[in-house]
This record gives sequence, C-alpha cells and structure tokens, in this order.
Amino acid sequence: MLINTGVPTREQIELRLPSPERRARGPYAMVECFQEIPCNPCSTSCPFDAILPMGDINEIPAIDLDRCTGCGICAGVCPGLAIFIIDESKGDGTASVTIPYEFRPLPEKGEMVRAVNREGDVIGDAVVTRVLLSKKTKTPLVTVRVADEHVHEVRFFNLIDNKTVCDKTSSKIEEEPKTDDTACATDDDEIILCRCEGITLRTIRDLIREGYTTVDEIKRISRAGMGPCQARTCGPLIASEIARMTGQPVAEIQPSAHRAPVKPMPIEFFLGGDSE
Amino acid sequence: MNVPKSASIVIIGGGVSGCAIAWNLANRGIKDIVLLEKDTLANGSTGRCGAGIRMQWAAEKNCRLAQYSVEFFENGNEILGYERDIEFEQSGYLIVAANEKEAEQFKKNVKLQNSLGIPSVYLTPEEAREIVPLLDTSQFVAATFCQKDGHLNPFHTTDAYAMAAERLGVKKFKHTEVIGIEVKNGRIESVETTRGRIATNIVVNAAGGWSKAIGAMAGVDIPTYVQRHQILVTEPLEPVFSPMVMGFSYNIYIQQVPHGSIIMGRSDNTEPLDFRTTSGWKFVEEMTKTCSKLLPALRTANVLRQWAGHYCMTEDAQPIYGPAPGLEGMYLACGFSGHGFMLAPATAQLVSEMILGEPLTIDVSDLDVGRFERRELVFEHSVV
Repeated sequence: MLINTGVPTREQIELRLPSPERRARGPYAMVECFQEIPCNPCSTSCPFDAILPMGDINEIPAIDLDRCTGCGICAGVCPGLAIFIIDESKGDGTASVTIPYEFRPLPEKGEMVRAVNREGDVIGDAVVTRVLLSKKTKTPLVTVRVADEHVHEVRFFNLIDNKTVCDKTSSKIEEEPKTDDTACATDDDEIILCRCEGITLRTIRDLIREGYTTVDEIKRISRAGMGPCQARTCGPLIASEIARMTGQPVAEIQPSAHRAPVKPMPIEFFLGGDSE
Repeated sequence: MNVPKSASIVIIGGGVSGCAIAWNLANRGIKDIVLLEKDTLANGSTGRCGAGIRMQWAAEKNCRLAQYSVEFFENGNEILGYERDIEFEQSGYLIVAANEKEAEQFKKNVKLQNSLGIPSVYLTPEEAREIVPLLDTSQFVAATFCQKDGHLNPFHTTDAYAMAAERLGVKKFKHTEVIGIEVKNGRIESVETTRGRIATNIVVNAAGGWSKAIGAMAGVDIPTYVQRHQILVTEPLEPVFSPMVMGFSYNIYIQQVPHGSIIMGRSDNTEPLDFRTTSGWKFVEEMTKTCSKLLPALRTANVLRQWAGHYCMTEDAQPIYGPAPGLEGMYLACGFSGHGFMLAPATAQLVSEMILGEPLTIDVSDLDVGRFERRELVFEHSVV
C-alpha cells in the first residue's frame, strides 16, 4: 500500500494514464502525486496552464492533457520528484522517461545506465538520450530510453561503475559525416582554435559532428570568429577542420563573410569633422 | 540526400518563423512535415537582426502578439528541450522620447500596455538615467521602461525550434532551394526543389525576403519587398548597461548583449531595395553620431564589425498572416518588417491554427494579405 511503502499500486497508475491516442501523440506529464498536501508549484509553473489551478492548495493536481506539451517544467519544479515526462510516440519498440535527477555526477548523453523501478529494483538497461540543465527549475532533467513495456515502471536509474557510452539511440549520429575517429580522440581537442573567444577544437569538432558544416554556422552557434581578429586566424582553421571531417576539398568550404572595418576602430573616429 | 516524395505540409524558409511553425504543427501531432531552407538556418533576416524582444508597442495587437511570445521565450529552453541556451535575458527596453509630442504618445502607450498586463512605466529623464547611467539626460524629455523586454539569441532560438521539430519527426533540408510550385485548378499540387519534387497540398510561405518570389512561382502576387538594414557591433566590454535603449525619432536601438558587445542599428529610407548585404559608410557615420549624442561615454569603444541584412517589408510595416488569395493551400507568414524574430512564437501558434481551422488565440484576421487591396492598412508608429 502506498501509505506504507511509498509505492503506488498498478491500479492507481492505470487510473492516471492518458487515452491511447494521447499516449501515441507525443510526450506528456505523468503526475504521480497521490497525497493531499499543501503544494502547488506544478500548477503555477506550467506555461500552458495544463496543470489546472487549485482552488485549495491541498488538492491533488489535475492535468489537461490536450494542453500538456511534455515540456517538463513541472517535473523540474515538483519538490516531491513526483512528476515524470513520458514519450511513447516513437513507435519503434522503445519509449522515453524524463526523470528529475538530483544527484552528482550527472550521466552523459549516450551513456548506458541501469533502469530502476518504483520499488528500487533494477529491471533492465536504459540509454540516456538527453540531460537538460534548466536555469529555470534548477533540477536537471534526465531522459532515458527504455523498452516500451517498461516505460510505466522505470522511475530512476543507477549509473554503471565502468561507464559505457553507447551512441545507438542518438538520432544525430545517423547524419554524422564520415570522421577519422582515431585522429579526433587526441589531446588536440584542448587546443584553443579561436583565441579571441576561447573556443576549443573539441567544440568545433562536436559542432561539425552535429551537422554544422559551414564556417558561418559554427560562428553563429559558438561565436568562433566573432572577436577582434574577425576570424582571420580561426576562419581558415575551421574551414580545414570541416574539410577534413566531411571529406570535402577545403576550396569548396565557403569562408565566412568579411566585414568592415578591417581593424577595430573607436566610435569617435567615424564622427569625422562633421559632428554637431 | 533527396527530399521525400510527398508531405502533409511543406514549410518554405528556415528562419525563426518557418522553424517555429514546423515545431508548433509537429507538436500538435501533425506528421510528414518538410522544412526547406535554401541556405543555412537563420541566414536571412533572423540571423542578421538586432536580437531585441519587446512588448512596448503602440497598437494593441502588437502588444498582444509580443506578450504571447515573451511568455513563450521565458520558458523556451524547457518547452523546446534545448540543451544549449537561447539566452533570453529580460534586461528591459528603455525607450526615449525626443520631444513633448512623442512623450504624449508614450503616455498613451503605457496606459494601453498596462491595461493588457504589460508592466511598462513612464519615466523622467533622471529616472531613466538611474537605469542607464550613460544616458545624456539633456537629449530627451521622457522615457518608458519595461523590465520584461530584453535580448534573445536568434541563432540559438532558431536552432532550438528546429531541433525540437526534428525530434517530433519534421524532416529538415538545408541547402535545398524551391525552384517551382505546381498549381492545378487553383490548388497546390507539388513543390519542386533542387533535390527533387514533393507532392503536397499545403505550403507555408515563411520565406521572408524571398516570400514574393515564392508567391510568384504559384502565380500569386505577395506585396512584400526587401530593404537593407545595417547594424554595427563593438568589442566586448565590461557590463555598463543592460536594457535595449531605443528612440524612434532618434532612429536608434542600442544594447549591450550578455556577451559584452554593444550592438546598435538604425533605419534609413535611402537604403537599397534589393538583396544586397554589403556594408555602407553612411550608416556607420550616422550611427556613431546618434550613439555619441545619446550615450557620449561610448565614443571610445572600438567598432569590431558592421553587417547587413534585410527587412521583409509591407506597406504598413505589419506582418501578413493567412491564406494566399485565389490559391488553395498556401499560407503566408511573411512581411514582418523588422519584428519577425520577436513575434515567432505567436506567428507559429496563429499560422498553425489557421492551417488546422482552429479558433485563433489572437484575432489577426485583419492582418490578411487582402488588407492592401481593401486599403485597410494597420499602422504601428513604434518602429525603427
């Protein structure tokens, strides 16, 4: 019984499950809050008003699943760690659970972990597919992918001592350009490629692997090339790294746009003699 | 990589509007959406904009659209599951009135904004200087301030939308240009791209400056045009002021972004009406002049770079939302006239509702393309 063990019964869980159509549509919040206590951050934090306002602060949260987008803000703010985001829409025999995780170290994306059920028993393996560090809720949200039949069971995970990173489930990897993995795994990764902004080769390589394969795209996301030298040093280096990792000739990598002024000039310089 | 043979909806344009619409539709469970971008994401107006987000408008509709969008951005990283940061800093907008006439209008604006729940305040020049100590108070007669306005990173925001959309099954194609649209009996049949043909009955035209060209491919005249706008940025400095400082008659917007650089821009009606994104001398001269007048201490800051992009303009500087006339299946989300980035969440919500035939969260039926022929223009005075 819940009151003795802290574990809800199967019936209690089933009563909270959305319709099959809603479950197939996309992620939703599963609110596993069963006791009336004076607590309402889930309801006040929901940006979509999906967790309905409480007339009495002791009420058990009620959720409008048509409004819920599964964003996870409620899961991050719930002080009881009683809300999980379930996504059963993938349709490939796997489903994901997003868990508020208050421990350190955090797992890495792609890491294999042991899936743990509500009783605390290990019931299988899971792969971490996302680690979201929210400035808003401060509680990290860790998403793990598990077998379909386990998605309403898995509510925690244990890290494995000899951690293994398995990239199988990361959808990004399918689009990964051909890379020379041995060359990428060296200490070169710590080299600072963009000295103005302090961007390392590792960051540049990670972005190329994620599919940012032009100098401008890398500049926009990482700021490499936005500093005082205006990409004079890092621009050609980034272009050659893109060429090496994607197998394109470097001459075909489009350089970033060069802009005036040629060197940094103070604002008053441009005023000329015409200043009023 | 070839495009799929068919799609439920084809969205043209990988700027913030196109990516946001793709996410919004996919988030409602719509499958088989394709997003096409001829270059890279945020390469047009989105990635070249001033990155400001404000709710201080003179027209009620714009206030509501902006308010909806700000509430979204406040939770943007979480809603979109973005592992980097969209960098929404609610550092405020401080808008200065250069004369009494403008100050009178500002009083009305604040009254309207407050009635809608936007927490803007009317300030004396001295009160404004408490917020931005660099301001020369002799240069303006009053100001308004809203702390909830601020700065947002266009590249990360567009990426956050695109990645969330892809996780929901949207197929995104960069470097894929639309070269034709097939229309039969007044209805869209397919979209021809440089990577193949996609059969579809619904097209969203979110192509910004290219929206007119996309319309023409389907035989529809869309009354948008492009105009070059320029911005300059200084080297990163220690934090000296955080709000966006803006003046309509001064023709300036200027903000120190979280990274430390100061970004400033202005408008100029003599700028070319084409796709040029070259930089001009006149801009930098006028810009530095205005900046030195209003914030004299910045005279010694070093200019690192200037750049240019274009506004996708309409005659009344308001967006066009809704179906294209006389053509079944094309929905327009274009003509943002310089404020498309900050309105993207509202754009996505409204255009999705129009496509799905749902009631509109905010009534924008008067922002249809037909208003230009009917001569029912919707003017907004608070623009730079």
